[in-house]
Amino acid sequence: MPRFSVVTVFAILVCAAPSALAAGAADQLSADGAYVRLPPPGAKNTGAFMVLRNKGATPLKLVKASNPASKVTELHAHLNEGGVMKMRQVPFIEVPAKGEAILKPGSLHVMLIDVIQPLKEGEQIVLTLGLEDGTSLAVPAPVRRPDLGVVPDAGTAAAAAHHPH
Amino acid sequence: MKTKRSAVIVALLLAGIGVAAVAWWVRPVAPRSQEVPVRSRLASAGGGTDGAVAVDFTLRSASGPMRLSDYRGRVVLVYFGYTFCPDICPTSLSATARALNSLRPEELRALQVLFVSVDPARDSVERLGEYAAFFHPSILGVTGTEVEVAEAARLFGAVYARHDSPGGGAYSIDHTALTYVVSPDGRLVARLPHAAEAALVATEVRRWLQPAASPQGVP
Repeated sequence: MPRFSVVTVFAILVCAAPSALAAGAADQLSADGAYVRLPPPGAKNTGAFMVLRNKGATPLKLVKASNPASKVTELHAHLNEGGVMKMRQVPFIEVPAKGEAILKPGSLHVMLIDVIQPLKEGEQIVLTLGLEDGTSLAVPAPVRRPDLGVVPDAGTAAAAAHHPH
Repeated sequence: MKTKRSAVIVALLLAGIGVAAVAWWVRPVAPRSQEVPVRSRLASAGGGTDGAVAVDFTLRSASGPMRLSDYRGRVVLVYFGYTFCPDICPTSLSATARALNSLRPEELRALQVLFVSVDPARDSVERLGEYAAFFHPSILGVTGTEVEVAEAARLFGAVYARHDSPGGGAYSIDHTALTYVVSPDGRLVARLPHAAEAALVATEVRRWLQPAASPQGVP
């Protein structure tokens, strides 16, 4: 019997170790300023951006993402090769220990591919960010119009057309 | 005694296997290489000779055929992209729109922005029109046949290449994300980097607007 107990203890340790590590990984992660960029009319793909912060002492790896508004969600990066921008899916986005990963236009981002219904400005989309250890973080992200600067008279007139007085 | 020793050995063996399994399970995932052979074609990226070359093309907008030379007397910003472009084109066009919105009305009237689709198979001129106007009414979406678009891009030194999605979904297009500046006398005079700050774009536009103020300035 003691033989079995020793084996069992090892087996339990070995099997339990990964899930024990997994328990709090997502707790170490936070997402600030998350938003989904409102795609232009007819466009079915868009990006979601945010700053990911890891308060833990070990690096975290974001390995997948999902959301209810698009058929596919991928993690992407951009390479700028001599002025040619290449967008590529990446297997993970690493958030360094006690550090951050900045997801922004023209750089790392969560890609919403094939949106099911046209997105509306102000609509809230909950992104689920999956970490390497199987834990996940839910991030509410409002749909925001891209920053086009301060639109002068013509734009104001166009906007006013939607709200006639 | 003997059974205890063998139990320890078995346990250690199991532990070893377990550690190996965990190591495999948490192994680092190497980034997949999905390079497409556009690098060699980048050699032509410097093909557009700044400051000297007169450029022109005939393409189509939602209002019909157009020529770049229709805009002589105005500064023209030319950007090659496509409407299925999920991030780069919206980022570039938003930056351009911020620059346009910072200009005075008379400056804006002396400027035209052309968004040239390198994806005529998917981008109709109607779709392009809507897409471009979303960013700013001064941005006109244009395209042509594959050959016409390729010729226009070659003239500017812009390159593009289709990139098929590994998952078999819709393709994307790697493309030059520079904004080309055409002077009022129809010469390719500058290339602005991807998502250039509005202030830089506005400065560049004003620089070329000045000679246009006097008709004598145009040779």
